[in-house]
Amino acid sequence: MDDHLTPAEERDALAAELALGLLEGQARADALRLSLSDPAFAALVAAWEAKLAPLHGEWADAQPGAAVWSGIERQLADAPADKVTAIETRLRRWRTGALLSGAVAAALALVLITRPVPTPAPAAPQLAVARIESDAAGPLVLARYNQSNGLMQLRIHGFEPGALAPELWVIPEGGTPVSLGQIGHAGEAEMTMPPPHRLLMTEGATLAITMEPVSKTPHPAPSGAAVASGKIITI
Amino acid sequence: MGHDAGVRRLNIPVISLRLDGVDGTQWSSGADEARAQLTAALTAVGRGDRAALRRVYDMTAAKLFGICLRICGERASAEDVLQTVYIKVWERAGQFDAARASPITWLATIARNGAIDWRRSVAGRTVRDTLPEQAAFAVADDSPLADQSLVAAEEGERLHHCLDELEERSRASIRAAFFDGSTYAELAERENVPLGTMKSWIRRGLLRLKDCLGDG
Repeated sequence: MDDHLTPAEERDALAAELALGLLEGQARADALRLSLSDPAFAALVAAWEAKLAPLHGEWADAQPGAAVWSGIERQLADAPADKVTAIETRLRRWRTGALLSGAVAAALALVLITRPVPTPAPAAPQLAVARIESDAAGPLVLARYNQSNGLMQLRIHGFEPGALAPELWVIPEGGTPVSLGQIGHAGEAEMTMPPPHRLLMTEGATLAITMEPVSKTPHPAPSGAAVASGKIITI
Repeated sequence: MGHDAGVRRLNIPVISLRLDGVDGTQWSSGADEARAQLTAALTAVGRGDRAALRRVYDMTAAKLFGICLRICGERASAEDVLQTVYIKVWERAGQFDAARASPITWLATIARNGAIDWRRSVAGRTVRDTLPEQAAFAVADDSPLADQSLVAAEEGERLHHCLDELEERSRASIRAAFFDGSTYAELAERENVPLGTMKSWIRRGLLRLKDCLGDG
């Protein structure tokens, strides 16, 4: 049996494993983080999704209940149609799921790394990658922040449904928390940070998650202790 | 590193899906039309057209629910996941590029990834633990259904040819991973082999599959 793979083959196999969904726990967390921080790896994952795409012709159809569409409509009704309030819309869209988040085990750790992308492309963006998790089996949030255009992308896993939803805050050094809106209990979310908020994403500032009552608008202040927090570090 | 086949091709990965309609000769005109309608509706969703989301839903809910139901294993969770899938579609439709992916592939990938996210979540694992064990391997390797109306037939033939070239155990495991959303650990347990053996079957199968498909 020959299982000695070159580093490039290992990387491609990892991309395939992530695309197929074979990984779990820490291995899945690490691969997801890599796909957020490394566009070339993300492209490998997408290429595997495309290779396997013909299999999508084989699923057996099934009819969902009528409640699914009414639930979708209800969620869309929460979002203002007015494009002028786009920033607020994006904040609201952070609540990606119909399912609401619940209490999370305390003492999560957050690591945030800011680094320039190693390409000579014009206006090379500064990327920040954050990872928030409790343990290999618990909740996990992966975040990617592009300082050049203010785009924040999140992948959220494993928050348990309940009455409370996770809300993301940025806390300037020596300042008070500013809400970036609630995030879903699972799935993906992205937003363009409003310029005032971008100014807060600097070295020494803290990102934190608290569990808050569900709200369509960001809360003025957190109601409890952070379940996850960490300082922004530029390297 | 153990390979004597010389330098392996390590091309820059690209999305290999074909342009819509460029060589659609194998599709029936009805399938062409369905695909064009779905592309149009999805593009409208990307512009914020809510009525178009309903059209996308009507055209695709049965297929996407089939994906969620198969991977989640029970209706209530699958319906919750399906709801989040269409919210994602609403949010991301602006990123859909008809020149790079077929609309049904784009949608099915979102649905499958959403269902797998759920299965890997605490809630998903808790629910799954209460479900009766299913003979999923047998189901996973059923012969393909005829529903190819929205999926390019030619690419399907190529993939199936390459899958057929693999060892049976690799092919069966890869298909089970795709259709059941199983992890390495679950597959190893199901087949009663060590975890490392299952990883080896699948990894070798995947790399051979890639060689067979080529990167073009």
